[in-house]
Amino acid sequence: MGVQRAVLGAQNVSKAFFGNPVLRDVSIEIVVGRIHALLGENGAGKSTLINLLSGTLTPDSGEIRLDGQPIAALTPREAHRHGVAVVQQELSLAPHLSIAENIGLGSYNRRGGLIDYGRLAASVEEIGQKLGLVESPDTPVDQLPLGRRQIVEIAKALFIKPRFLILDEPTSSLAAPDVATLTKLIRSLRDDGVAILYISHRLNEIVDFCDYVTVLKDGAVTADRPLAGLDPEGLVRLMVGRDPQNLFPPHVSHASGDLVLQTRRFRTAAAHDIDFELHRGEILGIGGLVGHGQEDFMMGLYGAVPANADQFRVSTHGREARTAPFAKVADANAVGVAYVPADRGKEGLLLPHSIDFNLLLPLFARRSAEPRRWAEEQAITERMARRLNIKGDRRRPARALSGGNQQKVAVSKWLPLEPSVLLLNDPTRGVDVETKREIYVALQEMAVEGKAVVLLSSDTPELVHLCDRVMVFHKGRVAATLPHGEGTEEAIVAAAMGVRKAPQGEAA
Amino acid sequence: MTAVLQRFVIAYSRSLVAYGIVAVLWIVASLLITGFGVYPHLRYIVELAAVIGLVGVGQTIAVIGGGIDLSVSAVITVTALVLPMVSFESDSSGLGAIALSLLVAAAIGAVNGLGIGYLGLPPLIMTLAMATILQGLLVLIAGGSAISVSNATLESLGSTHVLTISASILLWLVVAAICLFWLHGTRSGALIFAIGTNPMVSKLSGVPIRRLTLATYIISGLCAGLAGLLLLSMNGQGYVGIGDPYLLSSIAAVVLGGTSILGGRGSYLGTIAGAVLLVTMTALITVINASEGWRSLILGCLILGMLPLSGRDQSR
Amino acid sequence: MGGKGARLYWRVQWRRNDGLGALFLVLVLFAILYAILFPGIFAIGAASKFVQGWFPTAMVAAAQTIVMLTGGIDLSVGPMVSLGSVVAASTMEGPLGIFGGVLAMLALGGGVGAIVGAFVAIGRYPAIIVTLALSFVLRGVALLIMPRPGGFVPRSLSDFLAGVHPTAAVLLVLLVIVWKLYQATPLGVGLIAVGDNAEGAYRSGVNVTTARMCAYIASGILQGFTGLYMAAKTGSGDPLIGEPMTLAAISAAVLGGVGFLGGQGTMRGALAGSLLMSIMISVMFFLHLPLVAQYIMQGLIIVVTVALPLIRASMRRGT
Repeated sequence: MGVQRAVLGAQNVSKAFFGNPVLRDVSIEIVVGRIHALLGENGAGKSTLINLLSGTLTPDSGEIRLDGQPIAALTPREAHRHGVAVVQQELSLAPHLSIAENIGLGSYNRRGGLIDYGRLAASVEEIGQKLGLVESPDTPVDQLPLGRRQIVEIAKALFIKPRFLILDEPTSSLAAPDVATLTKLIRSLRDDGVAILYISHRLNEIVDFCDYVTVLKDGAVTADRPLAGLDPEGLVRLMVGRDPQNLFPPHVSHASGDLVLQTRRFRTAAAHDIDFELHRGEILGIGGLVGHGQEDFMMGLYGAVPANADQFRVSTHGREARTAPFAKVADANAVGVAYVPADRGKEGLLLPHSIDFNLLLPLFARRSAEPRRWAEEQAITERMARRLNIKGDRRRPARALSGGNQQKVAVSKWLPLEPSVLLLNDPTRGVDVETKREIYVALQEMAVEGKAVVLLSSDTPELVHLCDRVMVFHKGRVAATLPHGEGTEEAIVAAAMGVRKAPQGEAA
Repeated sequence: MTAVLQRFVIAYSRSLVAYGIVAVLWIVASLLITGFGVYPHLRYIVELAAVIGLVGVGQTIAVIGGGIDLSVSAVITVTALVLPMVSFESDSSGLGAIALSLLVAAAIGAVNGLGIGYLGLPPLIMTLAMATILQGLLVLIAGGSAISVSNATLESLGSTHVLTISASILLWLVVAAICLFWLHGTRSGALIFAIGTNPMVSKLSGVPIRRLTLATYIISGLCAGLAGLLLLSMNGQGYVGIGDPYLLSSIAAVVLGGTSILGGRGSYLGTIAGAVLLVTMTALITVINASEGWRSLILGCLILGMLPLSGRDQSR
Repeated sequence: MGGKGARLYWRVQWRRNDGLGALFLVLVLFAILYAILFPGIFAIGAASKFVQGWFPTAMVAAAQTIVMLTGGIDLSVGPMVSLGSVVAASTMEGPLGIFGGVLAMLALGGGVGAIVGAFVAIGRYPAIIVTLALSFVLRGVALLIMPRPGGFVPRSLSDFLAGVHPTAAVLLVLLVIVWKLYQATPLGVGLIAVGDNAEGAYRSGVNVTTARMCAYIASGILQGFTGLYMAAKTGSGDPLIGEPMTLAAISAAVLGGVGFLGGQGTMRGALAGSLLMSIMISVMFFLHLPLVAQYIMQGLIIVVTVALPLIRASMRRGT
């Protein structure tokens, strides 16, 4: 008798959104007894692939196979029944329901038509112990911080006793001890016969405990092999297709001594006691684990959320001193501060509207009393499109563009206002390699022109290679400010995790 | 030239459907019903549509901006009842009283705009609450009686014709032109579309959302006030409840005209056709002696039928 | 269920009360005020009468809440109740008899709810415009069936529902029990999950369409029954009797803490909100305040209830 190995796979699947191909003829097999890593840049198609494997989306062509049989039109419910569980970055929890109700959602055991609370309580307790979920199971989920909600999401996946567990960046919001617990749990699941697909950007993690790796690049599989013999650089080479050094332009600091923005004891709801200085021509990086206050800080700096400070000075166009942070976004725009959000679809662009309209939006907002002049507007958008290499008919809706081109629109729309300070929130998330390079080069050009750039990034190599200084956030405060050179990947990650590095030559 | 025309048609295709339906109805009715297709009758239909059309200006702008104004009927009634109250001796032309009444209407709109734009109240709630409060106040002030009006300007509004076009229709045309120009020809008008599509994107792009929201609801109040005065000029007297039919009519006109109830998309062009369509339908129902019940039923079915054009919720 | 299960269940239910404290406090205060003003209220007869007056508001508040929990809204509540009363008063003397008539009513309510559900859950059209359009349709149909109040409701039914028996109170208790049972089923919890995070619920394997459909059908049944009740109470059908009920339903639900975005709120909150409103109306009525004062009050309630948390939140955020 042959041994049946449980297999979940995709065979030659393709998927496109609004005419943009995201996955091209991709095949992958998740097999029992392996911790299988799925690697790829932001925008390479990883999320789409796991959506196909879990039934949230259906492929345009190709098929999903389970235990050797193709399954047509897989739905999340079906996938659960076959033992496929997914933990995605976007949480699927219902904030107003309790932890226990969320963990069992969609898969409750029944007793006579009603939910079997007895078994639910027992399962929740058991899983909670494995994950270190100490909160009371009747707690409404909206009372938990993001890191704890992530644990509940993982608990939810474990509830259905999966045969296949897919984890998309599960450690992105977790504190260090939770990461260790999770790693241990994953290993024991593998030993118990669960097939695991693991997506992460933490290459050290991957080399540490994964057995097999598939690499996606621009929607196609470029590598599919055991992990043996690969180190983090090797992985990067597989992902990027070139030596990592070539991705970034050589670093030259253009920071001058002129202060453009300065604040003392800046505070928002999630960030506290931030002392901050920004100079003309500087590229300042902001790092840290997701949800540690850095995004709130940036929004507060921009005037988009309420903020307070003991001192707040801006001098972009000559002598302008304020004593308080911007009360509203328009105030920030007025002195030349612009912001590019992380979520293009929800915060950055008006997807149903034309590229032209999106490009003109900040200009219209800033100078809304001026009349419309069609020819002049076309000239402006033409110039912008050429500068950032945005091709094609600009009357198309913004949603028709690829992630990379959308990002270009999100950045260039600020150019007519000639901003002096650019606040960028994860600008290369979901963007293909070529566009990333273009954006990096553009950032350098801005620094040369004397603009100041604040780059908040979850991509540590970006912070390492592009920035003159890096401020690392941890639990709402600045854990470390590292100048270029000292800002290595290890140093940044350590600071983000709250590990204090002893200064050289001194006892800790 | 044809390229511009082509773009225009594609962009406003939804709005044009309503014009198509009106045209079909008018042609068919003219053939089947004697007296329907004569100029004075059609002009009368448009005159009646002018009231809905005027309310529809504010409603269209509010809806495109992602909101809605449920207080328009109350504002119409308030304006109609307030006019005689603010009329004074030395105001021989009646313009002073008109200005004061419109000021009241705009003020009500301003309260709506402040609550929605600055306090963050959902438009549905704010305008619904405003409507109920106004209804209550109205009854307390005016009781159940009708109040006759003598106002020189209003009377001439009701009776003047310029080149056989009624002054009321001209008024509508002027206001419509201003509305269309603002929405499609100015930057701030374009920003309304942005707000209705995605308020967060608009906020982060520096759009002055609060100010524009306040302006939107002030305009809505003002237009409802104008409609109330127009009604007054046609009726000669105001009474509690005079504005009631116009709330749902204004929303129906907006939706029938192809503007999406979700916001961010549409045009007042369509609302114009929607208003004419509504009055045409009422006229037809009256002719065939159908009752209020039929009118309500058919109206509801029409809106349901227009739903596929009006836009679906894209998310799950 | 076993000890552990029962403990979990009741603790979860108790946590749902977070935020309702203030409402219940105000409710108790008003109830005391009411009892002081009208000492006879606790006599069975007077209490019965009060519950009968409260019952329609409670029912439509419940109906509106079910829909709002899924993230929708129903602007056709009033016309549906009117239609219900009209159909009830028209079919009772027909071949169906009383029992058949009642069943037909519930089927009508459920059927209309299914139509709304089809547009909203399957067609994904915005609930606000679907129910607005439907309110026209239902109003029209009600007027066509019965242009003026009339019709006939058998004496026995009137007596049973709105007479000396405490039927209304029993029915409300029944409503709460059925709702609690429903909430203890996967579909019931799914309803809240759908309103809270529809995409997440879908990914969890909840059948979003079914959950929404059930909500609209259940809501429709409640509305239809309320129409029947109104007919029994007044002894005839009235095509416009439900007009003020849409607003009343929304006010009561909002007062009870039910949110517009979905997922937030409880049935007990909505019922408490409707009770509070009924008491306030009675107090105003006995104080000889004009009928329209009720409307003003409802409007103010809505604004204040929604505005207060917003104001508090923005004050808090000013660090």
